[in-house]
Amino acid sequence: MFEQVRRIAADLFAVPTERLTSESSPETVEAWDSNQHLTLVLALEERFAFQLYPEEIEQMHTLGDVARVVEAKVQAVKS
Amino acid sequence: MPIVIEPYREEHEPAVQEFNRRLQAAGDPDLVFYKSSRPKWLPQIEASPVYNEYLVAVDSGVVRGAYALKHEQVFIPGKGSISVACYHHPLSEGIVDRSYASIGGLMVRDALTRQPLLYSLGMGGYDRPLPKMLKALGWSLVQLPFVFKIVHPNRFLRDMHALRTSPLRRSLMDAGAATGLGWLAVRAAQSALRARAPRSGPVTSDRVAEFAGWADALWLQAREQYRMSALRDSETLRRLYPRTDDHFTRLRVRRRATDVGWAVVGERRKDAKYGSMRVGSIVDSWASPENALDVAQAATRELETQSVDLIVSNQSHTAWGHALERCGFFNGPSNFIFAASKKYAETLQPFAENSGGFHITRADGDGLPRNF
Repeated sequence: MFEQVRRIAADLFAVPTERLTSESSPETVEAWDSNQHLTLVLALEERFAFQLYPEEIEQMHTLGDVARVVEAKVQAVKS
Repeated sequence: MPIVIEPYREEHEPAVQEFNRRLQAAGDPDLVFYKSSRPKWLPQIEASPVYNEYLVAVDSGVVRGAYALKHEQVFIPGKGSISVACYHHPLSEGIVDRSYASIGGLMVRDALTRQPLLYSLGMGGYDRPLPKMLKALGWSLVQLPFVFKIVHPNRFLRDMHALRTSPLRRSLMDAGAATGLGWLAVRAAQSALRARAPRSGPVTSDRVAEFAGWADALWLQAREQYRMSALRDSETLRRLYPRTDDHFTRLRVRRRATDVGWAVVGERRKDAKYGSMRVGSIVDSWASPENALDVAQAATRELETQSVDLIVSNQSHTAWGHALERCGFFNGPSNFIFAASKKYAETLQPFAENSGGFHITRADGDGLPRNF
């Protein structure tokens, strides 16, 4: 899951995939501002066909957090 | 504790002041949310569909974001009166601390759950953060025209700081003012525009203290002729332009004793880009499109009488744009954007094609307190 999220984020932020780690965050990635955060949320919703709740979006502090939220959401949708 | 977005109450006021202090530390004095939880402009009162509502994003007692909704009604032919809201004044801690980058998106989404028919207006241009975010959310955006009339060309050439951006430009504008050539050029261009205006019958305009029943008749007569217009009955107009607000001049425009429309004009607050010029604005206006010229002429005359140096206006409808052009107005670069949420845009389809038929003025959105 992390790899899929990382590829989506790298495309959006226009940075090489290998520069993004699970610790990457808006504080460490120049292009990751408020707009790009929302765009990332929208891109994930479209890619995985779910709708994220505000409390889930709030948990997305780092790319690792994003992947964990998406993983949990995908599992919840499946079950 | 998760971030909770809730109505702004008196108990939040100290936390909002702290929030403002953190934002202002970033160096922009405009980054301030309302100190008072009760709106000074358009507070909620019984029986009025037009009111402001403030909301705050609270994280363990600390305010991390805030925004406002101006609730109102619009009329759309074939659909009738519907409730919408203007999303305005969004401020997020993400501006100064990127670890709060999610707040901006959370607030727009929260607003959409409260009122799916949302719009935003103004915003300063497509390159600003808010329009970019709204575009990402699938909102429909259109740039609305900005027009201006130079009343005193020499003052304009010497004080229009927004155009005096290089030494060459400043020299040319100073030379135009000193030699009188600038004055001649402006007057010649305005005469050419005015020559295209048809001669209308005897039109009179009277200053009125407040709007009354005659404005209701005008609202009902003309509303079907616009693809969309915000409610402008007399009750709403009295809320927007109360008798006690002497900053605005309310004009009742008649042709041969028959009401044809109205306008609200006023002098804008000082703005660095206009230097020391006195800038008047045609804030709001209403008439059937075929009577727009009569009202535009009356509003322009009134501001010229008040001796402003420059008159500005934003009018979305093509008939109003043409009417102002015939009064000697030029089109200027616009950063005035109308953005409609997906649900709202669905009611306005085809959006791009219809946008020239919307009735949107400087008075829509949150423009009144910001500019006057």
